[in-house]
Amino acid sequence: MKKVSIMVMSLVVVAGLCGSLPAADTLEMVRERGVLVAGVKDSTAGFGFVDEKNRQIVGYDVDFVASIANKLGVKLALKPVTSASRMAQLIEGNIDIIAATMTATPERAKQIDFSLTYFFTGQKFIVRKGTARNLPDLDGKRIGTAKGSTSEQNAARALPKATIISYDDYPQALLALQQGKVFAVTTDESILATLLGNAPNKNQFEIPDIQISDEPYGLGMRKGDKNFADFVNKTLLEMEKSGEARKIFDKWFGPQAATTLKRGNFKITEGNRIVQK
Amino acid sequence: MLKYNFDWSVVTSGKYFEWLASGLGITIKLSLVSIFFAFLLGLLVAVMRMSDVRPIRWIAFGYLEFFRNTPLLVQIFFWYFGSYKILPEVINNWMNTLNFEFSAAVIALTIYTSAFIAEDIRSGIRSIPREQMEAAQSSGFSYLQSMQHIILPQAVRLTIPPLINQFLNLNKNSSLAMTIGVAELTYQARQVESYTFKGFEAFTAATLVYVMLSFVITGLLTLYSKKFRNPMKAL
Repeated sequence: MKKVSIMVMSLVVVAGLCGSLPAADTLEMVRERGVLVAGVKDSTAGFGFVDEKNRQIVGYDVDFVASIANKLGVKLALKPVTSASRMAQLIEGNIDIIAATMTATPERAKQIDFSLTYFFTGQKFIVRKGTARNLPDLDGKRIGTAKGSTSEQNAARALPKATIISYDDYPQALLALQQGKVFAVTTDESILATLLGNAPNKNQFEIPDIQISDEPYGLGMRKGDKNFADFVNKTLLEMEKSGEARKIFDKWFGPQAATTLKRGNFKITEGNRIVQK
Repeated sequence: MLKYNFDWSVVTSGKYFEWLASGLGITIKLSLVSIFFAFLLGLLVAVMRMSDVRPIRWIAFGYLEFFRNTPLLVQIFFWYFGSYKILPEVINNWMNTLNFEFSAAVIALTIYTSAFIAEDIRSGIRSIPREQMEAAQSSGFSYLQSMQHIILPQAVRLTIPPLINQFLNLNKNSSLAMTIGVAELTYQARQVESYTFKGFEAFTAATLVYVMLSFVITGLLTLYSKKFRNPMKAL
Protein backbone atom coordinates (compact mmCIF):
# COMPACT_ATOMS: atom_id res chain seq x y z
CA MET A 1 0.00 0.00 0.00
CA LYS A 2 2.89 2.33 0.85
CA LYS A 3 4.56 1.76 -2.55
CA VAL A 4 1.31 2.56 -4.38
CA SER A 5 0.78 5.77 -2.45
CA ILE A 6 4.36 6.89 -3.14
CA MET A 7 3.85 6.22 -6.85
CA VAL A 8 0.57 8.11 -6.85
CA MET A 9 2.22 11.01 -5.03
CA SER A 10 5.08 11.19 -7.52
CA LEU A 11 2.65 11.03 -10.44
CA VAL A 12 0.68 13.89 -8.92
CA VAL A 13 3.85 15.92 -8.40
CA VAL A 14 5.03 15.30 -11.94
CA ALA A 15 1.61 16.10 -13.35
CA GLY A 16 1.55 19.25 -11.27
CA LEU A 17 4.95 20.30 -12.58
CA CYS A 18 3.86 19.67 -16.16
CA GLY A 19 0.78 21.75 -15.59
CA SER A 20 2.76 24.71 -14.33
CA LEU A 21 5.12 24.95 -17.30
CA PRO A 22 3.58 26.76 -20.26
CA ALA A 23 3.15 24.34 -23.16
CA ALA A 24 5.65 24.77 -25.95
CA ASP A 25 2.91 24.73 -28.55
CA THR A 26 0.50 27.55 -27.77
CA LEU A 27 -1.54 26.88 -30.91
CA GLU A 28 -2.39 23.36 -29.76
CA MET A 29 -3.03 24.46 -26.21
CA VAL A 30 -5.35 27.30 -27.20
CA ARG A 31 -7.30 25.10 -29.61
CA GLU A 32 -7.70 22.49 -26.90
CA ARG A 33 -8.66 25.02 -24.26
CA GLY A 34 -11.09 26.77 -26.57
CA VAL A 35 -10.04 30.20 -25.32
CA LEU A 36 -7.34 32.64 -26.40
CA VAL A 37 -6.20 34.75 -23.46
CA ALA A 38 -4.92 38.13 -24.67
CA GLY A 39 -3.18 40.72 -22.53
CA VAL A 40 -4.51 44.18 -23.39
CA LYS A 41 -4.40 47.69 -21.94
CA ASP A 42 -7.52 48.81 -20.15
CA SER A 43 -7.03 52.56 -19.87
CA THR A 44 -5.26 53.48 -23.10
CA ALA A 45 -7.82 55.24 -25.26
CA GLY A 46 -8.07 53.95 -28.82
CA PHE A 47 -6.16 50.74 -28.18
CA GLY A 48 -7.54 49.12 -25.06
CA PHE A 49 -10.01 50.89 -22.82
CA VAL A 50 -13.35 50.33 -21.13
CA ASP A 51 -16.38 51.33 -23.14
CA GLU A 52 -18.64 53.29 -20.78
CA LYS A 53 -21.82 51.98 -22.36
CA ASN A 54 -21.28 48.22 -22.18
CA ARG A 55 -18.36 48.08 -19.70
CA GLN A 56 -16.29 45.89 -22.01
CA ILE A 57 -12.70 46.47 -22.99
CA VAL A 58 -12.61 47.64 -26.61
CA GLY A 59 -10.04 49.14 -28.95
CA TYR A 60 -7.68 48.67 -31.90
CA ASP A 61 -5.63 46.00 -30.11
CA VAL A 62 -8.77 44.18 -28.97
CA ASP A 63 -10.14 44.01 -32.51
CA PHE A 64 -6.92 42.48 -33.79
CA VAL A 65 -6.84 39.65 -31.26
CA ALA A 66 -10.59 39.17 -31.73
CA SER A 67 -9.90 38.51 -35.40
CA ILE A 68 -7.17 36.02 -34.54
CA ALA A 69 -9.39 34.22 -32.04
CA ASN A 70 -12.09 34.12 -34.68
CA LYS A 71 -9.78 32.53 -37.27
CA LEU A 72 -8.70 30.01 -34.63
CA GLY A 73 -12.29 29.20 -33.84
CA VAL A 74 -11.93 29.86 -30.14
CA LYS A 75 -13.34 32.34 -27.68
CA LEU A 76 -11.44 35.47 -26.68
CA ALA A 77 -10.63 36.29 -23.05
CA LEU A 78 -9.10 39.69 -22.24
CA LYS A 79 -6.72 40.24 -19.35
CA PRO A 80 -5.73 43.81 -18.45
CA VAL A 81 -1.96 44.31 -18.28
CA THR A 82 0.35 47.29 -17.82
CA SER A 83 3.48 48.26 -19.70
CA ALA A 84 5.51 46.94 -16.80
CA SER A 85 3.72 43.62 -16.37
CA ARG A 86 2.87 42.49 -19.89
CA MET A 87 6.07 40.60 -20.69
CA ALA A 88 6.20 38.84 -17.33
CA GLN A 89 2.57 37.75 -17.72
CA LEU A 90 3.29 36.27 -21.15
CA ILE A 91 6.45 34.43 -20.12
CA GLU A 92 4.74 32.98 -17.06
CA GLY A 93 1.87 31.69 -19.14
CA ASN A 94 -0.94 33.81 -17.69
CA ILE A 95 -1.66 35.16 -21.17
CA ASP A 96 -1.06 33.68 -24.61
CA ILE A 97 -0.50 36.84 -26.60
CA ILE A 98 0.30 40.48 -25.87
CA ALA A 99 -1.76 43.11 -27.69
CA ALA A 100 -0.99 46.12 -25.53
CA THR A 101 0.58 48.95 -27.52
CA MET A 102 3.88 47.11 -27.30
CA THR A 103 6.79 48.45 -29.30
CA ALA A 104 8.91 45.75 -30.92
CA THR A 105 12.58 46.28 -30.08
CA PRO A 106 15.60 44.02 -30.64
CA GLU A 107 16.25 43.88 -26.87
CA ARG A 108 12.71 42.73 -26.14
CA ALA A 109 12.96 40.28 -29.05
CA LYS A 110 15.61 38.45 -27.03
CA GLN A 111 12.94 37.52 -24.48
CA ILE A 112 9.83 37.11 -26.63
CA ASP A 113 8.87 36.90 -30.28
CA PHE A 114 7.03 39.66 -32.11
CA SER A 115 4.50 39.36 -34.91
CA LEU A 116 4.67 41.50 -38.02
CA THR A 117 4.26 45.18 -37.23
CA TYR A 118 0.55 45.91 -37.02
CA PHE A 119 0.72 49.58 -36.11
CA PHE A 120 3.30 52.25 -36.66
CA THR A 121 3.81 55.46 -34.73
CA GLY A 122 6.56 57.56 -33.18
CA GLN A 123 7.42 58.91 -29.75
CA LYS A 124 6.40 62.51 -29.19
CA PHE A 125 5.51 64.92 -26.38
CA ILE A 126 2.48 66.74 -25.02
CA VAL A 127 3.31 70.22 -23.73
CA ARG A 128 1.39 73.36 -22.84
CA LYS A 129 0.67 75.31 -26.01
CA GLY A 130 3.64 77.28 -27.17
CA THR A 131 6.12 76.14 -24.53
CA ALA A 132 8.28 73.91 -26.71
CA ARG A 133 9.10 74.02 -30.40
CA ASN A 134 12.09 71.75 -30.75
CA LEU A 135 14.05 69.17 -28.79
CA PRO A 136 16.47 71.48 -26.92
CA ASP A 137 13.43 73.27 -25.43
CA LEU A 138 12.72 70.10 -23.51
CA ASP A 139 16.17 69.39 -22.15
CA GLY A 140 16.70 69.92 -18.43
CA LYS A 141 12.94 69.85 -17.76
CA ARG A 142 10.74 67.36 -15.94
CA ILE A 143 9.16 64.82 -18.29
CA GLY A 144 6.44 62.38 -17.24
CA THR A 145 5.87 58.93 -18.69
CA ALA A 146 4.78 55.41 -17.70
CA LYS A 147 6.88 52.75 -15.99
CA GLY A 148 8.28 49.95 -18.09
CA SER A 149 7.76 51.62 -21.46
CA THR A 150 10.28 52.22 -24.24
CA SER A 151 9.35 55.91 -23.88
CA GLU A 152 11.21 56.02 -20.57
CA GLN A 153 14.47 54.81 -22.05
CA ASN A 154 14.23 56.78 -25.29
CA ALA A 155 13.51 60.00 -23.44
CA ALA A 156 16.43 59.43 -21.07
CA ARG A 157 18.70 58.88 -24.07
CA ALA A 158 17.44 61.84 -26.12
CA LEU A 159 17.32 64.29 -23.20
CA PRO A 160 20.24 63.49 -20.93
CA LYS A 161 19.75 66.51 -18.68
CA ALA A 162 16.01 66.08 -18.21
CA THR A 163 14.42 64.48 -15.14
CA ILE A 164 12.27 61.55 -16.21
CA ILE A 165 9.45 60.77 -13.78
CA SER A 166 7.72 57.44 -14.35
CA TYR A 167 4.19 57.07 -13.07
CA ASP A 168 2.14 53.89 -12.95
CA ASP A 169 0.18 54.70 -16.11
CA TYR A 170 -0.42 57.45 -18.66
CA PRO A 171 -3.56 59.07 -17.18
CA GLN A 172 -1.54 59.86 -14.05
CA ALA A 173 1.25 61.37 -16.12
CA LEU A 174 -1.30 63.57 -17.89
CA LEU A 175 -2.76 64.62 -14.54
CA ALA A 176 0.71 65.60 -13.40
CA LEU A 177 1.10 67.67 -16.58
CA GLN A 178 -2.23 69.41 -16.01
CA GLN A 179 -1.21 70.24 -12.44
CA GLY A 180 2.09 71.64 -13.60
CA LYS A 181 4.13 68.96 -11.87
CA VAL A 182 5.86 68.00 -15.11
CA PHE A 183 6.69 70.07 -18.16
CA ALA A 184 5.80 67.42 -20.73
CA VAL A 185 4.40 63.91 -21.09
CA THR A 186 6.07 61.60 -23.56
CA THR A 187 5.05 58.36 -25.20
CA ASP A 188 3.88 57.08 -28.58
CA GLU A 189 2.00 59.70 -30.56
CA SER A 190 -1.00 57.42 -30.87
CA ILE A 191 -1.37 57.16 -27.11
CA LEU A 192 -0.71 60.89 -26.70
CA ALA A 193 -3.40 61.79 -29.21
CA THR A 194 -6.02 59.62 -27.55
CA LEU A 195 -4.96 60.76 -24.04
CA LEU A 196 -5.34 64.36 -25.06
CA GLY A 197 -8.50 63.74 -27.00
CA ASN A 198 -10.28 62.70 -23.83
CA ALA A 199 -8.85 65.45 -21.65
CA PRO A 200 -11.25 68.19 -20.58
CA ASN A 201 -8.88 71.10 -21.13
CA LYS A 202 -7.21 69.86 -24.30
CA ASN A 203 -7.09 73.35 -25.83
CA GLN A 204 -4.32 74.33 -23.46
CA PHE A 205 -2.05 71.58 -24.75
CA GLU A 206 -0.53 70.52 -28.03
CA ILE A 207 1.70 67.86 -29.54
CA PRO A 208 4.54 69.67 -31.32
CA ASP A 209 6.35 68.05 -34.20
CA ILE A 210 9.24 66.69 -32.14
CA GLN A 211 9.78 62.99 -32.65
CA ILE A 212 12.51 61.03 -30.91
CA SER A 213 11.97 57.50 -32.12
CA ASP A 214 9.98 55.16 -34.32
CA GLU A 215 7.57 52.88 -32.52
CA PRO A 216 6.50 49.81 -34.49
CA TYR A 217 3.90 47.82 -32.54
CA GLY A 218 4.02 44.03 -32.59
CA LEU A 219 1.89 41.36 -31.00
CA GLY A 220 3.96 39.55 -28.36
CA MET A 221 4.26 35.77 -28.19
CA ARG A 222 6.43 33.35 -26.29
CA LYS A 223 9.83 32.58 -27.74
CA GLY A 224 10.25 29.59 -30.02
CA ASP A 225 6.52 29.15 -30.51
CA LYS A 226 6.79 28.75 -34.26
CA ASN A 227 3.35 27.34 -35.07
CA PHE A 228 1.52 30.06 -33.19
CA ALA A 229 3.73 32.85 -34.57
CA ASP A 230 3.26 31.64 -38.14
CA PHE A 231 -0.49 31.43 -37.65
CA VAL A 232 -0.68 34.94 -36.22
CA ASN A 233 1.43 36.42 -39.02
CA LYS A 234 -0.60 34.62 -41.65
CA THR A 235 -3.79 36.02 -40.13
CA LEU A 236 -2.32 39.53 -40.05
CA LEU A 237 -1.37 39.34 -43.75
CA GLU A 238 -4.86 38.07 -44.61
CA MET A 239 -6.38 40.93 -42.65
CA GLU A 240 -4.30 43.42 -44.61
CA LYS A 241 -5.21 41.86 -47.96
CA SER A 242 -8.93 41.71 -47.21
CA GLY A 243 -8.95 45.29 -46.04
CA GLU A 244 -9.97 44.33 -42.51
CA ALA A 245 -6.81 45.87 -41.05
CA ARG A 246 -7.56 49.16 -42.75
CA LYS A 247 -11.17 49.03 -41.54
CA ILE A 248 -10.07 48.52 -37.94
CA PHE A 249 -7.68 51.46 -38.27
CA ASP A 250 -10.40 53.71 -39.65
CA LYS A 251 -12.80 52.60 -36.95
CA TRP A 252 -10.52 53.82 -34.17
CA PHE A 253 -8.33 56.46 -35.83
CA GLY A 254 -10.09 57.39 -39.03
CA PRO A 255 -11.90 60.62 -39.86
CA GLN A 256 -15.00 59.81 -37.79
CA ALA A 257 -13.08 58.68 -34.72
CA ALA A 258 -12.43 60.75 -31.61
CA THR A 259 -8.77 61.03 -32.51
CA THR A 260 -7.51 61.05 -36.06
CA LEU A 261 -4.16 59.68 -37.07
CA LYS A 262 -2.69 59.21 -40.50
CA ARG A 263 -2.13 55.67 -41.70
CA GLY A 264 -0.11 56.96 -44.63
CA ASN A 265 1.63 54.26 -46.59
CA PHE A 266 1.70 51.79 -43.73
CA LYS A 267 0.75 48.25 -44.63
CA ILE A 268 1.19 45.00 -42.75
CA THR A 269 3.82 43.25 -44.82
CA GLU A 270 6.31 40.46 -44.49
CA GLY A 271 9.19 42.91 -44.38
CA ASN A 272 7.82 44.73 -41.32
CA ARG A 273 9.24 42.64 -38.58
CA ILE A 274 11.66 43.26 -35.68
CA VAL A 275 13.87 40.39 -34.57
CA GLN A 276 16.61 40.08 -31.98
CA LYS A 277 19.98 41.48 -32.94
CA MET B 1 12.08 29.15 -14.49
CA LEU B 2 14.64 26.56 -15.53
CA LYS B 3 15.35 28.36 -18.80
CA TYR B 4 16.26 31.61 -17.02
CA ASN B 5 19.84 32.83 -17.42
CA PHE B 6 20.93 34.28 -14.09
CA ASP B 7 23.24 37.25 -14.32
CA TRP B 8 24.09 38.65 -10.93
CA SER B 9 26.73 41.04 -12.23
CA VAL B 10 23.87 43.21 -13.43
CA VAL B 11 23.04 44.25 -9.89
CA THR B 12 26.45 44.08 -8.23
CA SER B 13 28.38 46.45 -10.47
CA GLY B 14 28.01 49.01 -13.18
CA LYS B 15 25.33 51.61 -13.75
CA TYR B 16 22.45 49.43 -12.55
CA PHE B 17 24.20 48.95 -9.23
CA GLU B 18 24.49 52.73 -9.00
CA TRP B 19 20.78 53.09 -9.64
CA LEU B 20 19.99 50.64 -6.82
CA ALA B 21 22.48 52.41 -4.56
CA SER B 22 20.89 55.80 -5.24
CA GLY B 23 17.48 54.24 -4.64
CA LEU B 24 18.72 53.00 -1.27
CA GLY B 25 19.89 56.52 -0.45
CA ILE B 26 16.45 57.96 -1.18
CA THR B 27 14.74 55.23 0.87
CA ILE B 28 16.97 55.97 3.87
CA LYS B 29 16.38 59.71 3.49
CA LEU B 30 12.61 59.19 3.25
CA SER B 31 12.56 56.97 6.33
CA LEU B 32 14.77 59.16 8.52
CA VAL B 33 13.02 62.45 7.69
CA SER B 34 9.56 60.91 8.06
CA ILE B 35 10.17 59.10 11.35
CA PHE B 36 11.63 62.26 12.87
CA PHE B 37 8.60 64.42 12.06
CA ALA B 38 6.19 61.56 12.70
CA PHE B 39 7.53 61.28 16.23
CA LEU B 40 7.13 64.99 16.94
CA LEU B 41 3.66 65.09 15.39
CA GLY B 42 2.64 61.91 17.19
CA LEU B 43 3.78 63.38 20.49
CA LEU B 44 1.72 66.50 19.91
CA VAL B 45 -1.40 64.57 18.96
CA ALA B 46 -1.01 62.19 21.93
CA VAL B 47 -0.85 65.10 24.37
CA MET B 48 -3.84 66.73 22.64
CA ARG B 49 -5.74 63.47 22.89
CA MET B 50 -5.32 63.45 26.64
CA SER B 51 -6.17 67.09 27.16
CA ASP B 52 -8.95 68.19 29.48
CA VAL B 53 -10.22 70.63 26.88
CA ARG B 54 -12.92 68.84 24.90
CA PRO B 55 -12.54 70.44 21.44
CA ILE B 56 -8.81 69.71 21.47
CA ARG B 57 -9.50 66.11 22.41
CA TRP B 58 -12.01 65.76 19.59
CA ILE B 59 -9.68 67.20 16.98
CA ALA B 60 -7.02 64.71 18.04
CA PHE B 61 -9.53 61.88 18.05
CA GLY B 62 -10.72 62.77 14.53
CA TYR B 63 -7.13 62.99 13.31
CA LEU B 64 -6.28 59.57 14.70
CA GLU B 65 -9.36 57.79 13.40
CA PHE B 66 -9.05 59.31 9.94
CA PHE B 67 -5.38 58.73 9.27
CA ARG B 68 -5.18 55.30 10.84
CA ASN B 69 -8.11 53.96 8.88
CA THR B 70 -7.27 55.23 5.41
CA PRO B 71 -4.89 53.20 3.20
CA LEU B 72 -1.47 54.79 2.97
CA LEU B 73 -1.51 54.60 -0.83
CA VAL B 74 -4.70 56.66 -0.93
CA GLN B 75 -3.10 59.21 1.40
CA ILE B 76 -0.04 59.43 -0.85
CA PHE B 77 -2.17 60.08 -3.93
CA PHE B 78 -4.20 62.62 -1.99
CA TRP B 79 -1.19 64.69 -0.98
CA TYR B 80 0.40 64.47 -4.43
CA PHE B 81 -2.56 64.79 -6.83
CA GLY B 82 -5.54 65.60 -4.63
CA SER B 83 -4.13 68.48 -2.63
CA TYR B 84 -3.71 70.45 -5.85
CA LYS B 85 -7.44 70.95 -6.13
CA ILE B 86 -7.77 72.26 -2.59
CA LEU B 87 -4.75 74.49 -2.13
CA PRO B 88 -4.61 77.99 -3.59
CA GLU B 89 -2.84 78.72 -6.87
CA VAL B 90 0.12 80.44 -5.24
CA ILE B 91 1.08 77.46 -3.13
CA ASN B 92 0.65 75.09 -6.05
CA ASN B 93 2.98 77.11 -8.24
CA TRP B 94 5.58 77.28 -5.49
CA MET B 95 5.39 73.54 -4.88
CA ASN B 96 5.85 72.80 -8.55
CA THR B 97 9.25 74.45 -8.45
CA LEU B 98 10.43 72.06 -5.73
CA ASN B 99 10.75 68.34 -5.94
CA PHE B 100 7.20 67.82 -4.84
CA GLU B 101 7.25 64.04 -5.23
CA PHE B 102 9.62 63.60 -2.29
CA SER B 103 7.83 66.15 -0.13
CA ALA B 104 4.39 64.66 -0.80
CA ALA B 105 5.70 61.22 0.11
CA VAL B 106 7.25 62.56 3.33
CA ILE B 107 4.02 64.35 4.27
CA ALA B 108 1.91 61.25 3.67
CA LEU B 109 4.30 58.90 5.48
CA THR B 110 4.74 61.33 8.38
CA ILE B 111 1.05 61.89 8.99
CA TYR B 112 0.14 58.22 8.57
CA THR B 113 2.84 56.98 10.92
CA SER B 114 2.27 59.81 13.43
CA ALA B 115 -1.27 58.53 14.02
CA PHE B 116 0.06 55.12 15.06
CA ILE B 117 2.89 56.63 17.09
CA ALA B 118 0.38 58.85 18.92
CA GLU B 119 -1.57 55.82 20.06
CA ASP B 120 1.61 54.06 21.16
CA ILE B 121 2.69 57.12 23.14
CA ARG B 122 -0.77 57.42 24.64
CA SER B 123 -0.65 53.86 25.98
CA GLY B 124 2.82 54.67 27.27
CA ILE B 125 1.47 57.70 29.10
CA ARG B 126 -1.50 55.79 30.47
CA SER B 127 0.74 53.16 31.94
CA ILE B 128 2.39 55.80 34.13
CA PRO B 129 0.50 55.66 37.44
CA ARG B 130 -2.01 58.44 37.99
CA GLU B 131 -0.21 59.33 41.21
CA GLN B 132 2.67 60.78 39.23
CA MET B 133 0.47 63.40 37.57
CA GLU B 134 -1.30 64.17 40.87
CA ALA B 135 2.00 64.51 42.70
CA ALA B 136 3.38 66.73 39.97
CA GLN B 137 0.38 69.03 39.95
CA SER B 138 0.23 69.25 43.71
CA SER B 139 3.89 70.26 43.62
CA GLY B 140 2.93 73.27 41.55
CA PHE B 141 3.45 72.10 37.96
CA SER B 142 0.72 72.94 35.45
CA TYR B 143 -0.75 70.23 33.25
CA LEU B 144 1.66 70.98 30.44
CA GLN B 145 4.63 71.30 32.75
CA SER B 146 3.84 67.98 34.41
CA MET B 147 3.63 66.41 31.01
CA GLN B 148 6.88 67.92 29.86
CA HIS B 149 9.04 67.27 32.93
CA ILE B 150 7.55 64.26 34.67
CA ILE B 151 5.20 62.15 32.59
CA LEU B 152 6.56 62.23 29.07
CA PRO B 153 10.17 61.40 29.88
CA GLN B 154 8.97 58.20 31.55
CA ALA B 155 6.38 57.45 28.90
CA VAL B 156 8.75 57.90 26.00
CA ARG B 157 11.17 55.40 27.50
CA LEU B 158 8.39 52.85 27.60
CA THR B 159 7.34 53.72 24.07
CA ILE B 160 10.70 53.15 22.42
CA PRO B 161 10.07 49.49 21.52
CA PRO B 162 6.73 50.16 19.75
CA LEU B 163 8.37 53.20 18.13
CA ILE B 164 11.09 51.04 16.65
CA ASN B 165 8.30 48.84 15.34
CA GLN B 166 6.68 51.84 13.65
CA PHE B 167 10.07 52.75 12.19
CA LEU B 168 10.24 49.28 10.67
CA ASN B 169 6.79 49.70 9.17
CA LEU B 170 7.65 53.14 7.87
CA ASN B 171 10.74 51.81 6.17
CA LYS B 172 8.73 49.22 4.31
CA ASN B 173 5.89 51.61 3.56
CA SER B 174 8.34 54.01 1.94
CA SER B 175 8.29 51.74 -1.12
CA LEU B 176 4.79 53.04 -1.92
CA ALA B 177 6.36 56.39 -2.77
CA MET B 178 7.36 54.91 -6.12
CA THR B 179 3.77 55.31 -7.33
CA ILE B 180 4.24 59.06 -7.45
CA GLY B 181 7.64 58.86 -9.08
CA VAL B 182 9.99 58.98 -6.09
CA ALA B 183 13.13 57.19 -7.22
CA GLU B 184 13.56 55.06 -4.11
CA LEU B 185 14.78 51.47 -3.92
CA THR B 186 11.70 49.66 -5.22
CA TYR B 187 11.31 52.14 -8.09
CA GLN B 188 14.93 51.59 -9.06
CA ALA B 189 14.54 47.82 -8.86
CA ARG B 190 11.66 48.04 -11.34
CA GLN B 191 13.73 50.35 -13.49
CA VAL B 192 16.56 47.82 -13.61
CA GLU B 193 14.05 45.14 -14.49
CA SER B 194 12.59 47.09 -17.38
CA TYR B 195 16.01 47.95 -18.83
CA THR B 196 17.66 44.55 -18.43
CA PHE B 197 14.76 42.09 -18.08
CA LYS B 198 16.68 40.57 -15.15
CA GLY B 199 13.74 40.90 -12.79
CA PHE B 200 14.71 38.11 -10.42
CA GLU B 201 18.17 39.53 -9.70
CA ALA B 202 16.86 43.08 -9.33
CA PHE B 203 14.11 42.22 -6.88
CA THR B 204 16.25 39.78 -4.92
CA ALA B 205 18.82 42.53 -4.46
CA ALA B 206 16.11 44.98 -3.32
CA THR B 207 14.65 42.39 -0.92
CA LEU B 208 18.03 41.69 0.65
CA VAL B 209 18.63 45.40 1.13
CA TYR B 210 15.27 45.89 2.86
CA VAL B 211 16.01 42.93 5.14
CA MET B 212 19.39 44.45 5.98
CA LEU B 213 17.76 47.79 6.79
CA SER B 214 15.30 45.99 9.09
CA PHE B 215 18.18 44.30 10.88
CA VAL B 216 19.85 47.66 11.45
CA ILE B 217 16.63 49.10 12.86
CA THR B 218 15.96 46.18 15.19
CA GLY B 219 19.62 46.32 16.14
CA LEU B 220 18.83 49.75 17.54
CA LEU B 221 16.20 48.12 19.72
CA THR B 222 18.66 45.64 21.14
CA LEU B 223 21.09 48.50 21.80
CA TYR B 224 18.38 50.47 23.59
CA SER B 225 17.24 47.63 25.80
CA LYS B 226 20.82 47.00 26.88
CA LYS B 227 21.72 50.61 27.69
CA PHE B 228 18.58 52.37 28.81
CA ARG B 229 16.88 49.78 30.91
CA ASN B 230 14.58 51.51 33.37
CA PRO B 231 16.29 51.37 36.78
CA MET B 232 12.86 51.10 38.46
CA LYS B 233 11.51 48.21 36.45
CA ALA B 234 13.06 45.28 34.66
CA LEU B 235 12.30 45.60 30.96
